[in-house]
Amino acid sequence: MAEPVNRRRAVLRVIGPMAARLGGAVFVLWAVASITFFAVRLIPGDPAQAVLGGPGSQASPEALALVRNEYGFDQSVLVQYLAQLGRLATGDLGRSYALNQDVGPLVLGQLGGTVLLAALALVVAWLLALALAAWSTRGGLVAARVGSGLEIVAAALPHFWLATSLIVVFSIWLGVLPPISTGGATGLVLPVLTLAVPLAGFLGQVLRESLLTALESPFVLSARARGESERGVLWTHALRHASLPAISLSGWAFGSLISGAIVVETIFARPGLGRTLLNAVTLRDVPVVIGVVMIVAVAYILMTLLTDAASRLVDPRLRLA
Amino acid sequence: MRRPAPTRRLLAATTGIVALGLLVAGCTPTDPNEPVGEPRNGGTLTYASGDAEPSCLDPHVGGNFPQALVSAQYLESLVSRDDAGQIIPWLAESWTPSDDGLTWDFTLRGDVTFTDGTAFDAAAVQANIAHLQDPTTLSSTGYLALGKVASATAVSPTVVRFTLTEPDSALLESLSQPWLAMESPAALERSQDENCASPVGTGPFIVQSWVKQNAITLVRNDDYVSPPADAGHAGPAYLDEVIWRFIPDSASRYAALQSGEVDVIDNAQPDTIVQAEQSDSIEHLDSPRPGAANRVELNSGRAPFNDVRVREAFIRSANVDDAVSSLFQGTATRSYSALSSVEATAVSNAALFDYDPSAAAKLLDAAGWNESDAEGYRVKDGVRLSVEFPVSTNQSIPAEQSVFEQIQATAKETGFEVKLAPMDLSSWYAALASNDYDAVSAPYTKVGPDVLRILYHSDSIVPAPSGYFANLAQVSDPEIDALLTTAARTTDAAERNSLYADAQNRILEGFYILPLYDQQNHFLLRSNVVGLRTLPTVAVPTLYDAWLNR
Repeated sequence: MAEPVNRRRAVLRVIGPMAARLGGAVFVLWAVASITFFAVRLIPGDPAQAVLGGPGSQASPEALALVRNEYGFDQSVLVQYLAQLGRLATGDLGRSYALNQDVGPLVLGQLGGTVLLAALALVVAWLLALALAAWSTRGGLVAARVGSGLEIVAAALPHFWLATSLIVVFSIWLGVLPPISTGGATGLVLPVLTLAVPLAGFLGQVLRESLLTALESPFVLSARARGESERGVLWTHALRHASLPAISLSGWAFGSLISGAIVVETIFARPGLGRTLLNAVTLRDVPVVIGVVMIVAVAYILMTLLTDAASRLVDPRLRLA
Repeated sequence: MRRPAPTRRLLAATTGIVALGLLVAGCTPTDPNEPVGEPRNGGTLTYASGDAEPSCLDPHVGGNFPQALVSAQYLESLVSRDDAGQIIPWLAESWTPSDDGLTWDFTLRGDVTFTDGTAFDAAAVQANIAHLQDPTTLSSTGYLALGKVASATAVSPTVVRFTLTEPDSALLESLSQPWLAMESPAALERSQDENCASPVGTGPFIVQSWVKQNAITLVRNDDYVSPPADAGHAGPAYLDEVIWRFIPDSASRYAALQSGEVDVIDNAQPDTIVQAEQSDSIEHLDSPRPGAANRVELNSGRAPFNDVRVREAFIRSANVDDAVSSLFQGTATRSYSALSSVEATAVSNAALFDYDPSAAAKLLDAAGWNESDAEGYRVKDGVRLSVEFPVSTNQSIPAEQSVFEQIQATAKETGFEVKLAPMDLSSWYAALASNDYDAVSAPYTKVGPDVLRILYHSDSIVPAPSGYFANLAQVSDPEIDALLTTAARTTDAAERNSLYADAQNRILEGFYILPLYDQQNHFLLRSNVVGLRTLPTVAVPTLYDAWLNR
């Protein structure tokens, strides 16, 4: 008799946290949609004008009435909000006011470019941070000073300034890389670097701190005593320990990369979610703003799950908990 | 008649020297733009626009400047305008108004077909006017321009008759605008989504594809026959293909031009223009937009600017000349007119806009603003002399925003507290709609002086259903109304011009506006792009005559 109870418990133990996570995710999405809806509607501006060729349009009374009726702008904000939520609940992101397009395909079409940019930037940032941390923790006092200096400077670089400087150096002076994203792989280099360098600064700071702590821990001492090489100590023991905080930081970093994409996509004239969002906010294109923000929220949630899983993989203690 | 020998010899020598000069100029490697030889066919030109990407490539829908820029490459209008401001034939060969000015017969070219094979004829024009006036098209600019047009009807395959509700002296100027261009009636039958993605015209290029947020690809129309009367050549365009891109950031746009990634950019800012002028590989094309000059409009509908003395005091207290020359680095010329300098009817009166702080102080004294508070601002009945000045960061370029800051600083010396409030476009229109401003600067592009009626007739104070109104100075003067109404009905050119001159003088002398400069419209192009010009209608570039010298 005890067995089914145990199995049920085991199932509950798996499903319980998953259900909690799912509930949390739904709550986050609802909150994101609601806050975005009211935030965009609270700032001045008539959404009907977005439909009619932008703010200040001199649309005829007939055209205006037609649009207000078709999009429901003549109804109360509460009714519009509930209608919007209802559509979202059925997975319908609605139709863009300004672009004459359904938001779902529009946002998904722009998703690939931004995810590619953010993912590459994350990888490059990790590689840069790892290389810098590995070098600066083993290269003596000077290396440590230089390493931490570089990290602070990199972390403080604004995307806007970095992008412009990279364009001046690599496109205008050296003429080796295009200043705008033209579709090829070379067009990705500067945007990825712009996003990766400041992030590498952040990751590097965290990584180096914990690496230093780990290298002085008893388990490293015992590994050394067992006769492990310095390289083995660093890469298999210390780094595994030290990377945990940086991995949890990556979830946050992904979100910051998406917001950085607004600047980077505008400067490098790259298609993507960031540019779509910027245009949509300017035009008060509520469905597109909500659509982009929802997609980013989903990406954020997925990324948090992924970093969770990655932490478990690296740290066996978490697997048991 | 024979010329005396010495003159002939002199003439020959001069010709020789000039020819040598031209030859040297043509051969000098530092001046590669001097074209030697015939235009060459072929090649792809990449154009990078700093304007927003249109949401619809059919300029009938909505109707803004970004649409005009790109659609001028594939759509054409019934008439155009030449450099001297004269209306010239395009898709219409000739036109005749009736004596009462209420019917206009346009005779069309008979040899033109749309790029989908549909014939361009009177029925096509009729369909286009109907499309513009159909509320479901959601046209605003084109719809407004056809305000006096009751209908357009095909009389014969090549004659179309416009019937008006009242005489319209601006009809031809309105029809010359790209927002009223002719599209294939068969294409207009499609859904609006389809027509927005690939409008079909008679122009030198054809819309081949549009990848949103990336580029519009245009290919040459090999059967093209209908350039406007002032074009540089006949027959199809020289370029094989045009890639139309959008690069919103000014610095990256210029970097892309420098690196040769793109061939032409628009919306060039003063700093890049100055840089480009020192470059051998980049040329500058300055083509001010028609219609109104950029100006600060003073809201005469509420205090303090409902008093003409306070308006004049503000204008006299603002040192605009110095601000413009230093902040625009010589790329913009100060205007003293309500109209753009490209309008032949523009009246300019520099004497009204002299910087004169002591005169300004006396005017304020006379108007009762004769006390000062602790911060040095003028006060009347306990109220500070404040000027609410909402600034649209979308429409005012950084240099212009700096000019406003200079106006703020110099007007402060006389005792005005100018409150600059930068805001995005939607908030800015909302501030105007709620009448929450004393000074404002709004561009207005339109072909011809009829823009004065839109901006300064008291009818334009009444807001449209959208809340929009064009008369931001809130000029309400029966005499100006009468002049503008009569001018809009007067088709006799000389009489019309004199009416518009009277109206402009009265507007300028009423100190309703502080003119700044023409609406800036600068293009930069690689020196190997030859033959690019702007259409003298709304100053959009046409790539029809352009070719690549490489």
